[in-house]
Amino acid sequence: MRGRPVLGTLAVLGYIIMIVPILFVVSTAFTAGDALTFPPQGLSLRWFGEALAYQPFISALVSSLQLAVVSTALALLLGVPVTLAIQRGKIPGKSLVEGLFLSPLVVPELVVGLALYQQIMIGLHQTSFVALLVGHTVLLLPYAVRVTGASLALADPAVEEAARGLGASPLRTFFSVTLPLLRPGIFSAGLLSFVTSFNNVPLSLLLQSRQFRTLPVTMLDYVQQSYDPMIAAMSTLILAGTVVIAIVAEKTVGFAKIFGGINK
Amino acid sequence: MSRKPALLLVPGLVFILFGFAIPSALMLLAPPSTPTADVFARLGAMLTDPYDLAIIWRTVRIGLIVTVACVLLGFPIAYLLARSTSRFAGMWLALAIFPLLLSNVVRTFGWLVILGSQGAIGQLLVILGVTDQPPQLLYTELAVVLGLIQLFLPLAVISCYSAVAQVDAGLDHAARGLGATKSQTLWKIVIPLSRPGILIAGTLVFAGATTAYTTPYLLGGSSQRMLSTQLFSYASVSVDWAAASATALIMTVLVFLVSGLSSLVSRKAGVTA
Repeated sequence: MRGRPVLGTLAVLGYIIMIVPILFVVSTAFTAGDALTFPPQGLSLRWFGEALAYQPFISALVSSLQLAVVSTALALLLGVPVTLAIQRGKIPGKSLVEGLFLSPLVVPELVVGLALYQQIMIGLHQTSFVALLVGHTVLLLPYAVRVTGASLALADPAVEEAARGLGASPLRTFFSVTLPLLRPGIFSAGLLSFVTSFNNVPLSLLLQSRQFRTLPVTMLDYVQQSYDPMIAAMSTLILAGTVVIAIVAEKTVGFAKIFGGINK
Repeated sequence: MSRKPALLLVPGLVFILFGFAIPSALMLLAPPSTPTADVFARLGAMLTDPYDLAIIWRTVRIGLIVTVACVLLGFPIAYLLARSTSRFAGMWLALAIFPLLLSNVVRTFGWLVILGSQGAIGQLLVILGVTDQPPQLLYTELAVVLGLIQLFLPLAVISCYSAVAQVDAGLDHAARGLGATKSQTLWKIVIPLSRPGILIAGTLVFAGATTAYTTPYLLGGSSQRMLSTQLFSYASVSVDWAAASATALIMTVLVFLVSGLSSLVSRKAGVTA
């Protein structure tokens, strides 16, 4: 940064805006006082205890985890075959098909959420879990298609042709050659999908019901009614979980690589 | 793999058509028990009503400010990291990307602690004797803009980073060797060559900022309504399907217009380059 005063200043300002608010949340979580103020009054872990004993947060956490796991699995089950077809098959209108699967990234999430509310919950009388599962899976499909596609595009199709030429059945070729090539891509896509579903607000807000509400939506509700450090404690616990996921991502596939696939 | 590829597509295609494309089209143009004409009548009314126009204009204005700010702050981070030889550069890049994994709700709560009436900035100003009462910082446009910059800056950093990293650092050295100053090298070599990535960064940030819900809801409140918060209130408070569809149409057209414009510009640049 030396000899670059303007760029350096802008970069520092950028980091401050990205990181400092997160530090404020963490520091207020450890307060001993009753209000969400800064500086915190005294030091204590009491709000972590209260957050973990607060039933609505815990049942919402369970709901969020269920939804994230099931929708990630469904998105991969539907998306990986699509990637295979796009990357390895000779299908007409390839870029059109790929565009269709990436389009949920462009259409505003509130539009998708309201659409599914009208068609699935009102029109077909389905539960909010079904509507959320469809909505989240739609939202995750671009990751499943794009991120796994990026890892497959790097692999040489000749390897698979060689396996076939040596007498392996198509199924055998898939399981012992193609799938291992896909594994890092599937892992990255799965990780991104899980996090995206877990953190989603717009869909989860529009498609919630009394029986099924995700954690971010429950926290938004809570902060409208009472403004106390319990919300900072719960946020800090989510931060800790996210740090663990980030470390796993960095140690396995590498951070920049995971995000490299989606950004194009 | 001769005829099978088409079969592999079928489950995904069925899902995305019935779970996304058709419901979204119906929602925009033919919501339940609402004639399409009503949606367009409502759209026409919104485009002439001062209250609705103020919301549209606020959404576009905030989107533009946030986009410019994110590129202005994100490009320097990306450039310095891409050209850094420090062994900590990777760690700093990870720190810039990490917030993308963290919940928007958690990231936005921080501003409540900083800008709230009991918050850090207000208290500091009172202690310093600048004001008697903490100033109103929350539920202002500034709060929404700050919150959205925080949310979308990592996205700008990644897009700019992959663009700058593709520009051969040897070109920088060559330009410097031929007598260009540092800022000439930046403006004449690095920025023109990484323009496609900067364009992608701007498009992603604009699309995200104009459709984000959590930030305007938490930091803007009812005094700083944007299209997203307005859409939500039509959908779940007043249950006015025609108004919700009209608002959604405005939002969707805005995003598609900017994405289309950006790909047009980058294609044109690609042809002339």
